Amino acid sequence: MKNSIIKLSTLLLLSALIVACGDDGDTGPAGPQGAAGMDGADGMDGADGADGADGADGADGADGVNGNSAVYTVQITNLTHAQPFAPAAVILHESGFYSFMDGQPASMGIEVMAEGGDPSMVIDEAMNSTDFLDAQNSGGILPPSSMGDVMTLVVPELDADDLRLTITTMLVNTNDAFTGLNAANVSDMAVGDSKTFMTVTWDAGTEANTETAATMPGPAAGAAGGGGAAAGYDPTRDDLADAVRLHTGVTTSANATDPSREGLATSVLGEAHRFDNPTSRVVITRTR
Amino acid sequence: MKFSKLAGATLFALASVSTTQAVTLDIEITNLTQAQSFTPRLVVAHDATVDAFEVGETASTALAWLAEAGVIDDAQEPASSGENFEAVLGPVDTDNGSNTWHRFGGLVAPKATLSYPFDTMDKPYLSILSMMIPTNDAFVGLDSIMIPTEPGTYTYYLNAYDAGTELNDELNSARTDVVEAGTGNALGGYGVPGVAGGGAPTRIVDLGMGGTGVAATVMSGEVEDGTDGPVHIHRNALGDTDNAGGASDLDSTVHRWLNPVARVVITVPAS
Repeated sequence: MKNSIIKLSTLLLLSALIVACGDDGDTGPAGPQGAAGMDGADGMDGADGADGADGADGADGADGVNGNSAVYTVQITNLTHAQPFAPAAVILHESGFYSFMDGQPASMGIEVMAEGGDPSMVIDEAMNSTDFLDAQNSGGILPPSSMGDVMTLVVPELDADDLRLTITTMLVNTNDAFTGLNAANVSDMAVGDSKTFMTVTWDAGTEANTETAATMPGPAAGAAGGGGAAAGYDPTRDDLADAVRLHTGVTTSANATDPSREGLATSVLGEAHRFDNPTSRVVITRTR
Repeated sequence: MKFSKLAGATLFALASVSTTQAVTLDIEITNLTQAQSFTPRLVVAHDATVDAFEVGETASTALAWLAEAGVIDDAQEPASSGENFEAVLGPVDTDNGSNTWHRFGGLVAPKATLSYPFDTMDKPYLSILSMMIPTNDAFVGLDSIMIPTEPGTYTYYLNAYDAGTELNDELNSARTDVVEAGTGNALGGYGVPGVAGGGAPTRIVDLGMGGTGVAATVMSGEVEDGTDGPVHIHRNALGDTDNAGGASDLDSTVHRWLNPVARVVITVPAS
């Protein structure tokens, strides 16, 4: 709309200029023809003309062929107060694939990720699907209340009309809580489009939420003499139900001695480790 | 109710005759919590250069005034002059170039709904902020949504954020047995520890008195006024069930919430 207005005004301007160059109307009728004159003397050669103006720039060349890729960036923000995020699995895939399903037992990849923090098996499992397109392992810890690095993923442009985003990342001061996205629809994004997701928190259902130093890998357990890899993945599935569901939050030892006794006296977590949804923000942008 | 709304809308329509294309939205806000009241609402229409709050970034002083004391402008609290959102944004109800804003006064009681007309003066984004009381520095926020242009009704659910400018000690500001460490200042609003707004007329229960502190602990009648990081999603009040003791002066069976804490319905009128 704006462009057409500009074009229109340019045209009007040009036509005004053309009118200004026309006949001024003061010229009278032509007079009678006079007698033929004598031939004049030959003139001198004229001076050389001035150099012509430079030619206009040529049109831009067409974009090179790069396999017709669609390129996306993904940035994760940790919205919690005291729950660092373990490295994140960031996966783009077609519809039909799920890394996990609410109400169903978690895969081993989800269990290892949610209990110990390593997302590489979640990515491996996705790569075994025919719906897989691309993935990144963010590789580092994302501290609480901070924005993560921008990750870049590339998929064939033909798949941009049927695209899903799956992300999993562990809340490390928990037994088996993770946040992310479960096959969020990011189809049909135009170049320059962004989508923002505020994410919920799941319980992998693979480990009892004892909140002890020996069962959580994060710094809270570390401060209590546990934590680390030894306190991460344990193949035993001893949760109330072996099924992925939304997390109820950590109980912590707060109020364990209050008359309410609602706290969990054996928890090494404190009230600061509590969280509410959403626990992360995910922004995906198509850049090409 | 309907008649007064209509009259308000007509008044605004007349007032905005001189400005072309101005859109007056109807903004309805509902408090979804059971025991948290919302302080006067800051409603800002703005361009991309204005960011009232950003998760992962340290709160501005203006945000601290709003989140710790519910203060937006000089008229509410002269001591905030030069530091509040009025100082950051410019005069109220004015096209300040990058923004226009209004303070919708009064409290939104738990479970209550209020609605207002708001002239966006053609700014593309909308943000809403309001302190939740009784808390230390919790606020409900609508974070720079793009204002819809198609006539219709649009619904948004808002989360509770922690401004991070005050430790969540959960101590009743009415207490005289506890003061700020170092200064001896009484507990209360901006710049000092303690939960503001405990005595609000919209309160559900009276706060307790004998708590020893949650995220900051009372030592010899003093409590520190610390910070707890960049703006983030609030981890919820803790509370306890001991009104005369325990850690908190809030009640765990009354004052807690889960997100979302507010619903905002924006109506874009047919032009």
